[in-house]
Amino acid sequence: MQEKAYEVLSPWAEADPIPLNGISPRIPDLAGRKIGLFASSKPAAPRMMTILEEKMRQRFPSSEISRYNAEEGFIILQTVGKYKECFEEWVKSVDVIAAAVGD
Amino acid sequence: MEAMGTPTVSLINKGFINDAQSAASSRGWPSLRFVAESVPSECSVMEEIDAALEAVMDEIVAGLTRPLSSDESVPQPRESKSPSRIVFKGGLQEVNRFFYKRGWGDGLPLIPPTEEAVAEMLTGTDLPRDHLVAKLIPRLGKATVEQIAVNAVMAGALPTYMPILVAAVQALADAASNFTAWEVSTGSWAPFWVVSGPIREDLTINSGSGALSPGDIANATIGRAMGLIVKNVGGARKGMEDMGTFGNPAKYSMVLAENEEDSPWEPLHVSQGLAASDNAITVSFPNCYWTLWPTGTDDTALLRTIADGLTPSGAGQTWTNVLLLPSHARTLADKGWSKQALVDFVNDHAKPGVGKDFVSATDGKGDVRVIVCGGPGSWIVLTKGGRGLTKRIELPAHWDKLVAKYKNVVPTYARY
Repeated sequence: MQEKAYEVLSPWAEADPIPLNGISPRIPDLAGRKIGLFASSKPAAPRMMTILEEKMRQRFPSSEISRYNAEEGFIILQTVGKYKECFEEWVKSVDVIAAAVGD
Repeated sequence: MEAMGTPTVSLINKGFINDAQSAASSRGWPSLRFVAESVPSECSVMEEIDAALEAVMDEIVAGLTRPLSSDESVPQPRESKSPSRIVFKGGLQEVNRFFYKRGWGDGLPLIPPTEEAVAEMLTGTDLPRDHLVAKLIPRLGKATVEQIAVNAVMAGALPTYMPILVAAVQALADAASNFTAWEVSTGSWAPFWVVSGPIREDLTINSGSGALSPGDIANATIGRAMGLIVKNVGGARKGMEDMGTFGNPAKYSMVLAENEEDSPWEPLHVSQGLAASDNAITVSFPNCYWTLWPTGTDDTALLRTIADGLTPSGAGQTWTNVLLLPSHARTLADKGWSKQALVDFVNDHAKPGVGKDFVSATDGKGDVRVIVCGGPGSWIVLTKGGRGLTKRIELPAHWDKLVAKYKNVVPTYARY
């Protein structure tokens, strides 16, 4: 006996298209630039940035290092409410950023 | 940070790269640069951090200096703008294999969601099939009534469960549920659904013996359908976006009804401000489940068992569900304990934790629910986990007729 054929609907939902953003142009060299190091509030993140700061200072002695340790949450929480102004000021003050979540 | 024009590279544990990429894409940033590092999660060993970062230093520097590709400058969509509604035609096993290989299943056999089966499922609601109930995170997939019905068919649900599934989707989409954290967290939190009101009887949702074990179509498939909806509509897939470290068997289904008839207290949804005649679903997100054996059935023994079970917990485990047998609830009520007095007792006896990494067993703000359920025996269950909320279930106009049609779908066990 021939098996019944089922024509099935997709369970995978549609999602509205959202505008896609390109990332910022890179800089050719980190030497002499201001390097930002962002750490989320997860315990491991600031530890990672402490180690990364040492390594960046060794590799790029002419560069300046600037740290931002989130008091709570990840990056998105820094862009709203009480953290917004301080965070935006910090982001604009550096040439590049390396960020750690801690996971 | 990229949105403010600053070149950024994110250091992500290699096990979370898929999660990070999905999170970035769903927010319109598909080409963010990540460096997959091997620093153990939550690491407190500086030597391990040092070694793991040393291994990726060149990648970190390159992430900040390497010129952009054309796709990084002007990213292109990865998903088709108009996906096909009909995705496959084949035999039962072929359909199952197709869905499984696409990552649309949960590992168990699925019922094929044909036009006919979905149309029958849609008889469970008055809402039009294209009605948007919510957009579910993290992908912001559209939970239309039809999409809910498709996943409900796959789970083996009956059309009469549609009103519950619609309310359950609304509960997850409500920001107050904080589902955005619970669904994908490493803590492996699972939705625990409690159905209240007259609908429990209409649908024969088990509130008694083995209510949380397999074997009841409503208890099994309502939770299963919601699991598929979370995955296929919200886009939270195990090991991709759902990063539960150990996972949780309750993600298959954790559904029960409250035994309102044998409870000495007001039903759960009435405690949450709804009318007794209302139907409602309450969700919370436990990641642990403790079955406790009281040393006696008198009120003192019962209360001592609950208090002793309220151990200090790690992050997030502040919402407590106390699952009480009707007989135990009656004993406490006969001794003058109201449901609120029991909630206050639980909060009062939550022990403070030691050190900043531990929290009290409850947060002392009433995040405690007492649910009367369970069969013969003498046990108490505590579940602990994420905060929840209650949603009213709206029924279609032809509810009685619909219930009559499916009322006899119940197991009959032969004696041997």
